Amino acid sequence: MAVGKNNWRGFGKKHERKSLYPIKYVIENLREYKTDLVQKEVVSLQELGKISSSFQQVLKETDTFEEQLQDFGDNFSNINQASGQFEAVKSQIAQSVEQAQSEVEELKNSSHKVEEDFVEMEGTFANFQECVKKIKGCTNKIATIADQTNILALNASIEAARAGEMGKGFAVVAVEVKELADEIKKLVAEVDASVGDVEQGTDQLNTSIHNSQTALGDSIEKVNETYQMFDKITQASEDVTSVQAEISSAIEDSQMSLQSLCGFFDRTKGQYQEVMKHIKYASKLGTTKSAMFEDIDNMLSQIPPVVDDYDEK
Amino acid sequence: MKQFFGMSHSGDLKEAVRGLSNPQLILLMSNGDQFEEHVKKLEDLFPGVPSIGCIGMSYDTQVVEKGVGVVAYTDGVAAVANVLEEVSVMPVKYIQRLERDIDRVGASQSDTVCIDFCSGNDACVLTTVYSALKRRNISLVGGTGDAGKVSANGKIYEDAVGYVLIKNLNGKVKAYKENIYHQKGNYRFIASRTDKEKYIIGELNGKPAKQVYQNILHVSEQQITTQTFKNPFGKVNGDDICIISIKEVDGNSLACFRQVNDSDVLMLLELGDYKAVVRNTIQTIRRDFSRISAVFSVNCLFRYLLFTDNHYMQEYLQEMGRLGSHAGLVGYGEHYNNRFVNQSMTCVVFE
Repeated sequence: MAVGKNNWRGFGKKHERKSLYPIKYVIENLREYKTDLVQKEVVSLQELGKISSSFQQVLKETDTFEEQLQDFGDNFSNINQASGQFEAVKSQIAQSVEQAQSEVEELKNSSHKVEEDFVEMEGTFANFQECVKKIKGCTNKIATIADQTNILALNASIEAARAGEMGKGFAVVAVEVKELADEIKKLVAEVDASVGDVEQGTDQLNTSIHNSQTALGDSIEKVNETYQMFDKITQASEDVTSVQAEISSAIEDSQMSLQSLCGFFDRTKGQYQEVMKHIKYASKLGTTKSAMFEDIDNMLSQIPPVVDDYDEK
Repeated sequence: MKQFFGMSHSGDLKEAVRGLSNPQLILLMSNGDQFEEHVKKLEDLFPGVPSIGCIGMSYDTQVVEKGVGVVAYTDGVAAVANVLEEVSVMPVKYIQRLERDIDRVGASQSDTVCIDFCSGNDACVLTTVYSALKRRNISLVGGTGDAGKVSANGKIYEDAVGYVLIKNLNGKVKAYKENIYHQKGNYRFIASRTDKEKYIIGELNGKPAKQVYQNILHVSEQQITTQTFKNPFGKVNGDDICIISIKEVDGNSLACFRQVNDSDVLMLLELGDYKAVVRNTIQTIRRDFSRISAVFSVNCLFRYLLFTDNHYMQEYLQEMGRLGSHAGLVGYGEHYNNRFVNQSMTCVVFE
C-alpha cells in the first residue's frame, strides 16, 4: 500500500528505549490535576469565606433582632407596669371620691340642718310679726285711751271752771291728766314709729330669709348633683380598671408570643452557631489542605528530576 | 546527657573546642570565610565523630557574630549525622539514608529528635525529611544556614541538608516553636497568583498583595521591608500559624522569605509582648521538664535584629540560660517538624 507525504505510521516498540518517561508523564499530569485542584480550592475557600462573612452578618442581624425583641418585651413590661399603676390611681381616685362624698354628705346634712333652722326661724319670725302686730294694736288702744283721757280731762277742766273756786284743784288735776295723756300719746307715737321701723326691718328680713331659703334649696340641689357626679367618677374609674385588665391581658398574650419568638431565635441561634462552628472547622480544614497541597507538590516536583537522573544513568 | 558550647569570637576553632573531650556529636556554626577550614579542622580534631555544620551566628549566653561556635553532646546520647543532597531538586533521592539512620539510632518519639542545617529549598526538604520522621512521630528542629553550604561528617556540601538524629539515652526530648506575633485585627486572606519558586504572593483575596499590605498598614513601598519586623504574614495551618517574612516588593506583588502557595490562607500579624511570650515558653518548658540537660534552639535572624535593636537580646539569652545549658543558631529560616517558618524560634529540650 502506498504511503503519502502526509501519512505516517507511528513509531513502534522497536523505536522505544527503556525509559521512565511514562512516570514523568503521569507526574506531569498529576501536577496539572493538582494545580486545577488548588485553583478549585482557592475558589472553595473564597466561597467559604463569603459564607462565613455572610453568616457572621446573619448572626449579627439575629443578635440585633433579638435585642430589639428584648426591648419590645421590656416595652410590654413597662406598659403593663404603667397600666398596673392605673389601679393605684383608681384607688386614689376612689379614696378622694369617697372623701369628697363624705364631705358633700356632711355639707348636705348641714344644709338640711340650716334648712330646718330656716323653717324654725320662719315660724319664730311669724310669731314675732304677730307680736309686733299685737304691740301695734295695743299702742293704738293706748292712743285711743289717751285721746279719751284727753277729752275726759278737757271735760273735767270745763266742769272745774264751772265749779269755780271749788273746782280749781280739780282743774289742776285735769290739766295734769291732760298733760299725761298727751305725754302717753307722744310715747305711743314714738312706739308706733319704732314699730313701723321694726315692721319695715322684718319685711326686709323676711325677703332675705326667702332668698336664703331659695339659695339653700339650689345649693342642696347642686350638692346632690355633685354627689351623683362623684358616683359617675367612681363608675368611670371602675371602667378604667376593666380597660387596664384588657390591656394586661393583651400584653400577657403579646409577651407569650414574644417569648415564643425569642425561644425560636434561641433555638435558631444555637443552630446558627452550630453552622458557624462547621464553617470554621471547614475553613480550618481548608488551611491544613493547603499545607498538604504544598507537601504533595514538594514530593511530586522531585519525581521528574529523579526520573531524568535514572534515565541518564 | 551533657551539652557543650564553645566559641571563639576570632574564629579560632581550637579555642572554641577547648575543654571538649569525647564528643558523641558535634554541631558547627561557622562564618563564611572560615567554614571550609573549620570543617576540616574539626574533622581532624575529632575524626569519625558525627557532625553537621553551617554558616551562621551562634550563641549561649552571648552571641558569636563572626567567629565560630561549637555545640557538642558528650554523654548519654546515641547519634547519627548524615546528609541529603541535591535538595534544590530531589532530596528524596537520598531518603533511604534517613530511613536507615532512623532505624540505626533506634529513634522513637519520646527520646529522639532530628536537628537539621539546610542550604535552601527548605519547604521541599522538610516535606521530604519529615515524610520519613513522621512514621515514628519524631520531631524536627533546625534552620537554614548562609551561603548555600552545609557540612556533614567533615565534608562540605552545597545544595544539601545536613541532619543529625539524637537519641537521649537518659530521658525524653521535646520540640517547641515560639511565635511572638499575633493576628492583627481580623485580616484573613486567601493567596493567589503565587510563584512558589520565587516565594511571591501575587494577590490576597483577589487584590494585588502590595496594595493590600499598604492599605492596611498605611506604609510606603520603601517601608514594607522594615515593616515586616512588626507585621509579617502568618500562614494558617489548622491551629498553627507559620510566620512568613516579606523580603521585598516585586511589582504589585510581595516576595517573601518562604514559599507561598495558591490557596494558602494568610493572616496579617503584629508584634506582641515578646518578653511575656518568652516567659510563657520558659514556663511551659519548666512545666514539661523537671530536669533539663540541654536546650538547643534556632532563632531567626530577624528576631536577633529585633531583640538587639530593642536591647533585649542579652536579657533573652540570660533568661533562656536559666533553663539549663542553652545554645543555638541564628538562622535564616526556622524548621519545626515539616513547617518552614520565619521570624520564629524553634528549640529542642533534652531531659
